Amino acid sequence: MIELKNLTKIYPSKTGETVALEDVDLSIPDGSIYGVIGLSGAGKSTLVRCIDLLEKPTRGQVLLDGEDMTAAKKKRLSELRRSIGMIFQNFNLLEQRTAAANVRFPLELNKTPRGEAKQRAEELLSLVGLSEKAEAYPSQLSGGQKQRVAIARALATRPKYLLCDEATSALDPTTTESILQLLKKINRELGVAIVVITHEMKVVERICTHVAVLDRSRIAEAGRVEDVFSFPQSEIAKQLIIPNLIRSLAGSGGSKLRLVFRGGGSGEPVISGLAIECGIPANILFADTRRIDGKTFGHMVIELTGDQKQNAAAREYLAAHDVIFKEEL
Amino acid sequence: MSDVLISLFRDNTMWLGIWQTVYLTVLSTALAYAIGLPLGVLLCTTGRGGLAPVPWLNKLLGAIVNIFRSIPFLILMVAFLPVAKAIVGKSYGPAAMVVMLVIAAAPYVARMVESSLKEVDAGVVEAAKSMGANPFQIVWKVYLPEAKPSLLVGAVIGMVTVLGYSAMASTINGGGLGQIAIFYGYNNFKDDVIWMCVFFTVIIVQVIQEGGMFLAARTDKRLRAKAGRAKKCGRK
Ligand SMILES: Nc1ncnc2c1ncn2[C@@H]1O[C@H](COP(=O)(O)OP(=O)(O)OP(=O)(O)O)[C@@H](O)[C@H]1O
Ligand SMILES: [Mg+2]
Repeated sequence: MIELKNLTKIYPSKTGETVALEDVDLSIPDGSIYGVIGLSGAGKSTLVRCIDLLEKPTRGQVLLDGEDMTAAKKKRLSELRRSIGMIFQNFNLLEQRTAAANVRFPLELNKTPRGEAKQRAEELLSLVGLSEKAEAYPSQLSGGQKQRVAIARALATRPKYLLCDEATSALDPTTTESILQLLKKINRELGVAIVVITHEMKVVERICTHVAVLDRSRIAEAGRVEDVFSFPQSEIAKQLIIPNLIRSLAGSGGSKLRLVFRGGGSGEPVISGLAIECGIPANILFADTRRIDGKTFGHMVIELTGDQKQNAAAREYLAAHDVIFKEEL
Repeated sequence: MSDVLISLFRDNTMWLGIWQTVYLTVLSTALAYAIGLPLGVLLCTTGRGGLAPVPWLNKLLGAIVNIFRSIPFLILMVAFLPVAKAIVGKSYGPAAMVVMLVIAAAPYVARMVESSLKEVDAGVVEAAKSMGANPFQIVWKVYLPEAKPSLLVGAVIGMVTVLGYSAMASTINGGGLGQIAIFYGYNNFKDDVIWMCVFFTVIIVQVIQEGGMFLAARTDKRLRAKAGRAKKCGRK
């Protein structure tokens, strides 16, 4: 488990200070795929760089299975870093080395015997589906292929954790999808916990089990993806997750309810039932369903246009049909 | 052709001069790198934002390098004759000349190495750090191999510069084409001797330049990949 405790990072500068992270508390459970989402400049890259101590936190702790990385001596830090793999938006491959030699690089660093390193590189390249490109140089590979090599390289030392900073941001949608599926496979088959930094909601939806929303250097909210997506608490999370919802709530009118569908049957039958059985016309102001991890999740905002009594009946009806709803102003 | 020039070819003085020029240039460049390469690595790594920042050391080394680089070679040569004498026992002759060339070229080499290393993508260095590489490993396995093509180009420029200096250094009896041009050509008013020396110098520069660039291009995997692709496209 990776635990961040009161993590704060302040960049000093001539014109004052930039607070990139402020009192961030976060636990990344083993085996999870943890998404960190936020707008540009929110501090996502700083967060992931602090986890690996590429950036020294100004305050706070990074606990790796209980061991404080910020207090580790240089040599110990090197060892700890080997249990955390990292991949980047720009791949950061060694341009003068072949794909296989890139994968062997971390093994050379920890002085793994040559034969063993060679075999491990072959295994990993085959895991990421690039066996036939072993002897190609990075300049001969496409972006998606480069990221696959980078993933293989990051896994060479059998890390427990993999940090990805905008790993798919430089790739087209199809390639992005294939890389995400690869990450999921690695999570499933190797049990590697993955931290996925992204500014794209889609990435979180596709593979994450947990999500933290970062807003102006603070964590606005964090938790399991279903929970955060169903009941986003913070303004920023609502903005990121259900951008149209905000707009739909802006209008005037009667009392608004947000219905939440969590993996059950979703949508229309309930609304028509509402109209037929309670005789209340409900305006649908907003509806959005999406599939996350194989289940259907959705939000729907309806406006109840009846009188108080009718509206109360509508709420009862919804509750009786196991629809989760929340009053919205 | 003047008799002087003909006799220079006959008694092999000219060929010996060419050989001396090549030999002294290569030797001096190699020694300049022996000093300049580690110095360049230090300049790059101890700088602000470098691998292992040591600001005072960086400033000190930078200042020394700058001082040496701003002294014109001719003056440096005169000023450092006693140093040459202390090192090789004589303040004239080829050995003294090599000392002069190394003193003049090493700081220049250091700056070129520094700039080559700074071209290496910071992201790649960061990736190596994230894999637990120590500073020594980063220099040895990331900076130097990744900068190799650029370092080779720098070496070519360095060697040509040393060749240029060596002509001037010939005046202290260092030998080589420069000395022939001055002693047999300039002092005897034989323009054809001077021009012949210039001609051979140009040839040597060309060989170093073309050979070095060829080598640099060949070792650069970024270029080779492109060339390979271009060839394939051409065949279609
Ligand atoms: N090395 C640095 N020196 C000074 N300020 C920095 C440095 N790195 C980041 N910052 C500042 O910290 C804040 C957070 O930056 P960070 O790169 O973590 O954002 P991000 O969420 O990754 O953004 P993006 O989505 O654009 O990558 C920004 O205001 C940025 O200007
Ligand atoms: Mg970023």
